[in-house]
Amino acid sequence: MNRLDALRGTTPQKPHDARAIAALAANPGCSRRALMDGAGIDKDAAARHLGFPAPFGQSPFAITRGNAFEALVKADGCAELLRMLRDLLGLPIAEVAYHDVENVGAHLRHTHTRTLIDRAVRQEDAGTVYDHPLFTLDIAGHTAYLEPDVVAFQLGGRFHIVEIKSFAVIDGQADPAAVAAAARQAAVYVLALRGLLAELGHDPLRVSHEVVLVCPENFANRPVATLVDVRRELAVLRRQLTRMTTLDRLLDGLPDDLTFDLLPGEDGLPTRPVAELADAVRGAAARYAPDCLSTCDLCFFCRDEARQEGASDLLGRHVRDELGGVASVGEVLGLADGTRDAAAGQEEIARLLRNAERLRRECLT
Amino acid sequence: MSLLTSLARLRALDEGIAQPIATVRHCHVSARPMVFIPLKLSGEAAAPLAAMLGTDRDEPRLLVVPQPRNRDLRFAWAAELAGVLVPYIETFLASTETVARKNADPYERAVDAPQLVLPNRAGVAFTRLLGRSTRFRSLDGPYPVPMGVPLLGRWLTYFAERAAYPGSSLTLCATDELGRHWASGQSALEDANLAALVSWITEGPNDDAEDPLIWPPAGPATDPGFDAEVLAPAIESESAERVTEALRTQLAPTWRLMWRALDLLRGLREGAGVAQRWEQDRASFSGMAAQVTEGGPPQARRDGAIAAAARLARMERAQAAYDVQRAYDDPLIMAEYRLTGEAFAGEVVENDPDNTEGEGRSRKLRPLVVIKTDDPVRLAPGTALGTPERRGQGAQLVSARDGLVTIKITKGMGRAKTPAPGSVPEVGERVCYTSLTDDFQGSPALPDPEATPWTHGGPPQTYVPTDEDAQEEWS
Amino acid sequence: MSDRLDDLERRIDELRAGVRTAMRARDTATARTLRAELRTAERTWDTLVSGDGPATEHGPPAGNVPEESGQGAPRRARAHGAAARRGDGPRLVTVREQVHQALALLDAPAQARLIVAVSQAFFAGSIRSPQLTSLRRDEERSFRSSPYGRPYYLCAALTDRLSPARGLLTVSTWPAERRVVGPLSPRVDFLTCALRVARHLGGLPGSLPDGDRLLARMARNIPGAGDDAFGPPDPGRVVEAARRELRVHTRRDTRDRAQLAKRATSQLDDVAALFGAATLSTVAKESSTMRGGR
Ligand code: SF4
Repeated sequence: MNRLDALRGTTPQKPHDARAIAALAANPGCSRRALMDGAGIDKDAAARHLGFPAPFGQSPFAITRGNAFEALVKADGCAELLRMLRDLLGLPIAEVAYHDVENVGAHLRHTHTRTLIDRAVRQEDAGTVYDHPLFTLDIAGHTAYLEPDVVAFQLGGRFHIVEIKSFAVIDGQADPAAVAAAARQAAVYVLALRGLLAELGHDPLRVSHEVVLVCPENFANRPVATLVDVRRELAVLRRQLTRMTTLDRLLDGLPDDLTFDLLPGEDGLPTRPVAELADAVRGAAARYAPDCLSTCDLCFFCRDEARQEGASDLLGRHVRDELGGVASVGEVLGLADGTRDAAAGQEEIARLLRNAERLRRECLT
Repeated sequence: MSLLTSLARLRALDEGIAQPIATVRHCHVSARPMVFIPLKLSGEAAAPLAAMLGTDRDEPRLLVVPQPRNRDLRFAWAAELAGVLVPYIETFLASTETVARKNADPYERAVDAPQLVLPNRAGVAFTRLLGRSTRFRSLDGPYPVPMGVPLLGRWLTYFAERAAYPGSSLTLCATDELGRHWASGQSALEDANLAALVSWITEGPNDDAEDPLIWPPAGPATDPGFDAEVLAPAIESESAERVTEALRTQLAPTWRLMWRALDLLRGLREGAGVAQRWEQDRASFSGMAAQVTEGGPPQARRDGAIAAAARLARMERAQAAYDVQRAYDDPLIMAEYRLTGEAFAGEVVENDPDNTEGEGRSRKLRPLVVIKTDDPVRLAPGTALGTPERRGQGAQLVSARDGLVTIKITKGMGRAKTPAPGSVPEVGERVCYTSLTDDFQGSPALPDPEATPWTHGGPPQTYVPTDEDAQEEWS
Repeated sequence: MSDRLDDLERRIDELRAGVRTAMRARDTATARTLRAELRTAERTWDTLVSGDGPATEHGPPAGNVPEESGQGAPRRARAHGAAARRGDGPRLVTVREQVHQALALLDAPAQARLIVAVSQAFFAGSIRSPQLTSLRRDEERSFRSSPYGRPYYLCAALTDRLSPARGLLTVSTWPAERRVVGPLSPRVDFLTCALRVARHLGGLPGSLPDGDRLLARMARNIPGAGDDAFGPPDPGRVVEAARRELRVHTRRDTRDRAQLAKRATSQLDDVAALFGAATLSTVAKESSTMRGGR
């Protein structure tokens, strides 16, 4: 058995979606995450079983709103989208062909997508917008299925990924975090479509690194499109995916019998003793940072671990840098109090800390 | 964040309680603040859901949009909000003082000003959006809104802008203000949770603060679980009462926290510079009120190039002045500069109060003082110095070595032949000197707005709201 | 009475907390049970409260706010379907008739949201999109039990695989060419619909604000139809612009549709010709395409 499969054991593999894949790049230094994702472990389920459920959730209002906006953009053969593509990319008037890939059954959508894209490249069929195609992407030996909102094909032979998001652009400005997330997600689709073209024997660079981001403008529902360059996101993603296929180095450092298996029972609920699972998870080194709180399902578990270790990581990278990289809370305070001697290389930070401590005392008494 | 603050955070983590990082309060806290906790509908940019607000902790007002997707109800809500906020703001216009100015006509300044207190930065951002989505509305035409709504929009915009202005207290962001005075043992990201931060300050860390069932989020976003399990069914039931009661459960805990936060801030002695900054706030407020009464247009969607550069320059100056004032007002802040060698404190070991320089009529009193300090002084001879103890005086560094610093007092000694009593530090007195001074250059030479170069879009057109502004759907 | 209410409120709070805790732990079974209890408790509470009338110390009665705001813009209230929801009285025109009316005006396959908008703008319609979701299935059932028993059926548009197209409605009395859709058809049909709406609006005496708004929304997406102007669009201009773009697509679309229609008539039985081929034949078609493609 493959070593990664052994890590997962009897737990069914968690399928990756674009959001999850985009999140892979969030904390690239963390081996724990790289291993669990590589093995296809459901981190959310693991966190819940460990007693540290992830603090994420989506409001039904947000979901409804997102669906309604997407329907508006795609209504009447993507009439709104065509208007924007004509303005933004100079799409010729004749380019209007619309394919609703969802018209075929779910099990056929990927093959149907392949056929349509192949025909479009060979110019055997008119194709401008493809509604809900289905791509695949290889993640550490497992196939992930991905469903972008729309792929637009422009005459001139270039494909553009269209990402429809319901966060608003107000007076030309949008929430930068939301835009960044959308760009990361779109990059996953670009990569997947490039892979598909390569497989079909076409030039993968026919997929543009500029994606079309469609958002509501101001407070109205009127959609507006912007081109977003995702080259950087692509590079980060590629690096992370390569890293995941070469997990060997990380695996080498692990005990042979280590497994993250949740041992799901008949009802699918984990039966593995919690303490045992916790030990296993701790077996893979984490690199907790407060950013994990918004990007990783295991965040509360890892934060708890960092607390118990008294790690200065808890307070954020910024504080840690300020402390000259001294990692433990006890060590920093010891240096400041003078109850601990500076190790080699720590003289400067120790002097600063002692001074800081003296000043705080002087001012607070 | 500085090393001192980082150390305080570690200390907090170790001791299990937040540590002070200021010895005085650096913001003004009004006697009659308007606490304002807005909630928005998830997934929408600026669709209001509810707000709890008021100036009396025992009498919160709860305003609710019973069907948040209904545009008319949203504007009815905005009108209700205007009905509370605008009269509150206007009470401060009744009593004013006349202020004389150099090279300009005297003007009227309100003797007190309104103060909006919001839970967190997201709340401030939402206030800005609410302002943006209401200030261009019109009372007639195809999409009319109720009286008071456009005016509310202008005020909300104003308060949101002041929140970004360094040292202004017209709009307080509770988590930011608490975080300026206490260091918790958690990350800055986690400090954005008001419940968690207050808990760190008052009784120590408590994971309950992250449980939305115990402490609902302080807005403007609501807890997704609440949306799914409570709010959605309540809206579906079409019972305004159920929606209202549901939202009250989400707002009431934060309401109590907000007043707790104000109590904590009030518990600190006010810093010396606070009154002066509040005076600027009062002047700014009066200016805004005058613009409104004179029928000026609502704030533009975006600043023109000159206005934007001027604003940036103003903000930078305000930030620098704010930093200096806080250091002068608060030894713990000054300590940061002592740590980096830009300031030093110590005991006077020797002085020569009658030292003079020059001869005859240009002979001037230049007292010398020698200070013994443990601080690492990194200042060159000749550096101009100021001191919190004698703010009118200026000094110059003469020499610094072996923990002994000699300074010469160069400004503020008057014309007398001998120093006035108390004007020169005595032997044994503790003093502090710093290269940080509050005289900044005037505004950078920016062209008048009319002369904006074409590279920056040419002269700005006076902002005239169009029909389009008024017609934007609010959905 | 109010003791009872207090108890209920406490109980409701407990149940809500219980549901949310269960949901966080993904314990759906418990959540479902608790939710059911919760609904019961809430209903009891509602009954008690309304029975109690103004004696309860809660805020103003629910009705106040909407009425107050409704005065400013009565027109909008209808657009939001409030009227439809309140219209408990006997409906004179059935849902299928209203849909038929709208489709007859549009004269091309259309999605539910456009049908609803047309019905509201021109026929004081009261239908809402969700009501249309089950329509096609009901019509198919009716047709199967007594074929051609009705003068018309509301049916599906057929894709190039002769399967039903997602979300598009047509009328059985239309020629087959109009009931099938090729790749260009969605655009052609959109332009046709815009043209028909413009003509209809142009032919009406006086102005119709809902109609103007609908046409303005459509015109925005047709080059040269008066996209940037505020105020009511000029129907003549929209017709002109739609025609201009139609000229670009018509020839190819007509050819595609004729081929599809021929296939549909020769390959499909009566039910499938109206409501689309079943999944099995779709599968067969798919694999043949695949073989052909390689
Ligand atoms: S939460 Fe834990 S596993 Fe996830 S990225 Fe952070 S440190 Fe790694």
